[in-house]
Amino acid sequence: MSDKGFTLWFTGLSGAGKTTLAHLVETELRHRGLKVEILDGDVVRTNLSKGLGFSKEDRDTNIRRIGFVCHLLSRNGVAAISAAISPYREIRDEVRKMIGDFVEVYVHCPLEVCAQRDVKGLYAKAMAGQIPGFTGVSDPYEAPLNPEVMVDSSKETPEESAKKIIHKLEEMGYVPKPADEVYSEEEEEEVKRRLEELGYF
Amino acid sequence: MGILDRLRSLGKSQPEVKEKKVVLLGLDGTPYALLKQFCADGTMPNLAKIAANSSLRQMDVSIPEVSSTSWTCFYTGMNPAQHGIFGFLDLQPNSYKIYFPNSKSVKVPALWDVLGNYGKRSVVINVPETYPAKPLNGVLISGFVATDLKKATYPPELYPTLMELQYRLDPDAQKARESKDVFLADIYDVFEKRRKTILQLFDQEKWSLFIGTVTETDRLHHFMWDALVNPNHPYHSGFIEFYRRVDKLIGEVYDRLDNNTTFMMCSDHGFTSLDQQVYLNYWLKQNGYLNFTSEQPKSVEEIGPGSRAFALDPTRIYINLKGKYPQGTVEPGAEYERLRAELAAGLKEISSNGKTAIKKVFMKEDVFQGPLMDQAPDLIVLSNYGFDMKGATNKQTLMDKEIFTGMHTQDDAHFLINRKDIKDKKPHICDIAPTIMKELGVAIPSEITGVAL
Repeated sequence: MSDKGFTLWFTGLSGAGKTTLAHLVETELRHRGLKVEILDGDVVRTNLSKGLGFSKEDRDTNIRRIGFVCHLLSRNGVAAISAAISPYREIRDEVRKMIGDFVEVYVHCPLEVCAQRDVKGLYAKAMAGQIPGFTGVSDPYEAPLNPEVMVDSSKETPEESAKKIIHKLEEMGYVPKPADEVYSEEEEEEVKRRLEELGYF
Repeated sequence: MGILDRLRSLGKSQPEVKEKKVVLLGLDGTPYALLKQFCADGTMPNLAKIAANSSLRQMDVSIPEVSSTSWTCFYTGMNPAQHGIFGFLDLQPNSYKIYFPNSKSVKVPALWDVLGNYGKRSVVINVPETYPAKPLNGVLISGFVATDLKKATYPPELYPTLMELQYRLDPDAQKARESKDVFLADIYDVFEKRRKTILQLFDQEKWSLFIGTVTETDRLHHFMWDALVNPNHPYHSGFIEFYRRVDKLIGEVYDRLDNNTTFMMCSDHGFTSLDQQVYLNYWLKQNGYLNFTSEQPKSVEEIGPGSRAFALDPTRIYINLKGKYPQGTVEPGAEYERLRAELAAGLKEISSNGKTAIKKVFMKEDVFQGPLMDQAPDLIVLSNYGFDMKGATNKQTLMDKEIFTGMHTQDDAHFLINRKDIKDKKPHICDIAPTIMKELGVAIPSEITGVAL
């Protein structure tokens, strides 16, 4: 397997599970020997995009900046993972075109489920009118039309979704099969037997 | 030299500068104390002669002191949080599912990969944790836990030669349970075929580094250490005879060396008598840290709800962290640290007949350093001699003794180099790779944590 970098781009409503999935996938990719970096929307807004607001223009700038950094990482052999709402289709497609090795993951979750979860307490505030321009409530979210992977966090466990994503990355040749698939089933039984005989298992 | 002499010397052939080479014989599980004894009592006269003009040192190895981890430290010069091998088995990420790490799990270059970058060729025979055989500049036959000789051989063209030599990957440890006579005969058989292969490849292949490892020593020690310790044991002479054969191989290799070749030997851990096996998962269960979903759990995959910690072979304890494991219960941060301290204190109380079973409990950051800290066990137990830690999940007692009479030690491995001028420090197994690189004039990568001796 080559050291080919790529960008894994999560998109979805706030609270859909982008950050959770990003970290699960990160762990598995590191386990398989890849270099990984996560650009999380909330984190990026405290440094790289500090000072940017939530107008369309500022959101576009934020996504372009994240895309630019992902591009730099990907072309240097890193698996760059972006986990930001990235609500506008046009800008996501612009970033896709810039990067090339781009895998879009749509984390679908119905608005009412996200609002029920309200992990950061923002939906309650947004619905009370305290946060203007909140994606899904008072600002648009444009779902991808043709993502490489779609997961539904209202129906799947995070582990199931992460598996789907990893499987797609394997299929696309970005990620090698895990080291634990070196042994066939019979060989694995043989390994177990030999370790048992020496008191290791 | 005047200008006329210089002009006359032009076009004449210069004296050939012979390339430096290194040979290392590995004896899996052979303690320093045992080699000293055998040098002194005449069992290993070849080694005694070599050792008289060499540095034979007691050596520390990896924690945990298990072959897969220790040999990987040997051939990478790095610690487990860099190379990724913490034991013969490990858990898949975010899961309790067990898998068996192999050469593809090693996250850093091997010594022979580094040498290969400098055009130096290596022959590597039977080093554990090198299966399946990965391409290199040279020849490699994988060691334990290789299951398929074809997959254990690089280049593939070597396979027919190994078939002709009737090369065997490993003795059949099952035989030790059937008959010690048959087991000992099997050990001798595997060793003889390994010896022939080592000598043939030594003579036929071009190399700058030659590594030949004997693992029959470890198998013998696990099942028949009592035969060594008791001179009246029916298999005492059989044990000694095996080491005479090992000494013969040492002599045969040493006699082939020229003045440009450095000779080394090492083991991946020592051995001592096993008095009791101690079942860490039983202790965790009895003390309320662990439960299982069945009465006879086959592995930690059957972990039950509310569990806070579990153990993997041989000495590793993992905290069942929220966010790390599917049924994680322990919060990272203060709760995690409190639990670790509580476990360390409790474990140190384990004793039998007035003897403490555990010498020390390490926190992961005490012994590991690197990008793979997340994969590392949270606590690692170092036992006192005589108490062998186990990660079995289905035991109904804290301690017992099974068929094994020998156990690993972390602080009594051996290292030998055929020169007197080496650093005045107790070697660590991570030091060997950079020592070899230094001998061969190759720059030592900065990530290597070992120190050239």
